[in-house]
Amino acid sequence: MTKKIFAIIIALAIGFTFVVSASAYTYVHVADNANKLSGEEFEELENIAVKLENAYGICVMLCIADETTGMGDENYAEWIYTDNTDNENGILLLHNDGENTYAVFTTGNADEIFDDEAIAEMRDAYDSNDSYYGGVYDFYELAEEYLEEAYYANDDSDEDTVLTTGDKEEKDGVAFIWLPVSLGIGLLVGFLIINSIASKNKSVHMQKNATVYTRPGSMIITGSADNFLYSNVEKKEKPKQENKN
Amino acid sequence: MSTILEQKCPCCGGAVEFDSGVQKLKCPYCDTEFDITAMPEDTSNQVEQINWNSQGAQWGAGETDGMSVYACNSCGGEIVADATTGATECPYCGNQVVMKGQFSGTLRPDLVIPFKLDKKAAKEALKKHISTKKFVPKSFLEDNRLEEIKGVYVPHWLFTCDAVGNASYKAKKVKKWSDANYDYTDTSYFDIYRSGNISFDNIPVDGSTKMPDDLMESVEPFDLSQAVDFNTAYLAGYLADKYDVTAEQSMPRANERIRQSIIDSFKDTVQGYDDVENQGANMNVANGIYKYALYPVWLLNTKWNGENFTFAMNGQTGKFVGNIPTDKKAVTKASLLLGAGIGAVIYGLMWLIELL
Repeated sequence: MTKKIFAIIIALAIGFTFVVSASAYTYVHVADNANKLSGEEFEELENIAVKLENAYGICVMLCIADETTGMGDENYAEWIYTDNTDNENGILLLHNDGENTYAVFTTGNADEIFDDEAIAEMRDAYDSNDSYYGGVYDFYELAEEYLEEAYYANDDSDEDTVLTTGDKEEKDGVAFIWLPVSLGIGLLVGFLIINSIASKNKSVHMQKNATVYTRPGSMIITGSADNFLYSNVEKKEKPKQENKN
Repeated sequence: MSTILEQKCPCCGGAVEFDSGVQKLKCPYCDTEFDITAMPEDTSNQVEQINWNSQGAQWGAGETDGMSVYACNSCGGEIVADATTGATECPYCGNQVVMKGQFSGTLRPDLVIPFKLDKKAAKEALKKHISTKKFVPKSFLEDNRLEEIKGVYVPHWLFTCDAVGNASYKAKKVKKWSDANYDYTDTSYFDIYRSGNISFDNIPVDGSTKMPDDLMESVEPFDLSQAVDFNTAYLAGYLADKYDVTAEQSMPRANERIRQSIIDSFKDTVQGYDDVENQGANMNVANGIYKYALYPVWLLNTKWNGENFTFAMNGQTGKFVGNIPTDKKAVTKASLLLGAGIGAVIYGLMWLIELL
């Protein structure tokens, strides 16, 4: 019976690990419908976009398409965004490569962060580069600058926004190495608890003193001295918060 | 003959010297300075004066008639039983005892606490004692056999005294605060001294070598207000152990408990510190008297895997003690099981904290 319970707990622990690991963002941020990027380029740019979303809570997407299947650029941009993510705070820049037109879809906090001027700058950054890879890279670089600027602008704000409540640091999850460490700590604590319970099986021991036989009210303190000897002040520097930049 | 008085530094233990320049005692090793009045008296070389006087009485003529001594050939224990009770098995080891002869000699007990609880209560207490414990081997629960249950009057020496003592402690106070850049910890060290008097009434010390001292001290305390003057009539139906540890041989144990009581009781008056550590104590005993008393104890012997397990119950209060074997495999399994569970929870919490 205990073996079964043990197996179930281990399975749950491992299962939990994989479930939680899998809960990270898995959808596409760089939608290369026109096949302008190589596999490596796509992967690198996708990683950048994921890191931005993890850090700031804002989904920044870019879509390169040959055509918009008759939907129109704006509708197509919205469709691509909502079809890919549930994040209610985000931006998508659509480049219709066939007609060389652009459209932007923003939602939630991204509306405030990326104003018309910012969007124009980001589009120019993308457009002015000779390669698609370089253009997308520049687009994300500029997007990060705006996100960072907005983050610090909202740092002391009481407003409950994604930027102020979100974790700016990267959230790559807990490293797998912490699983054996956690198990080690758990085993130590478990060992102490169980042995503490088991030690109660021994109830035979010598008495420490005879205070139970003290005559009531018989203790009289006749001499008392509390002498200060010396003091020692230790100073330890506080760990400083590291700035991302 | 001259003697050199050496004062020890409470901080480092080095020998302190009088510094005429500052008119203070100074430790040449750690440079700590002390006012002469602040140094506690060096009591480490004081001779403890401990005198105990007996109140013991002798047996009256014909008082021990009908009481026989039985000896165990296995463990050497000697017990006393009246003619009607008799004895067949040693209450300590369970082996056969043989009648050695008519009871004689030794001091007559001053007091006896009569049995208040019967054999049935002792059996029930054993069941309850075992059933409430965890990780007991299943085979012990199923197969252990109650070999012997005997009510035994165990000889005890009772020590009463007025103790005068002193104790010194090292104490520290810790204060923590922070500013924008640093965390500060200020640890202040103090030398504490207490002296005073405490009186003790009837500290019991087991007077039988066959009865394990730890077993007897574990069933304490007995309520001596219910003790009566000794009468052999109280022994009817029970066994009585003869003392084979004299009062003189028992005194060191009584003194040890008194000394520790002084240390602990005086320590309770040292308040307002974060840590208090005893550095030593001295005591003198005045008006020390001792009495000889018989305490009622139910002894229960069980056998499991060829090993004897002895349990004891205070025959007056019902306090039940006795070590029970532990199933080491079950302990290991439970530790692993609980440890894995706790580990999984810790890891899960780490994930949640990371994701939130």
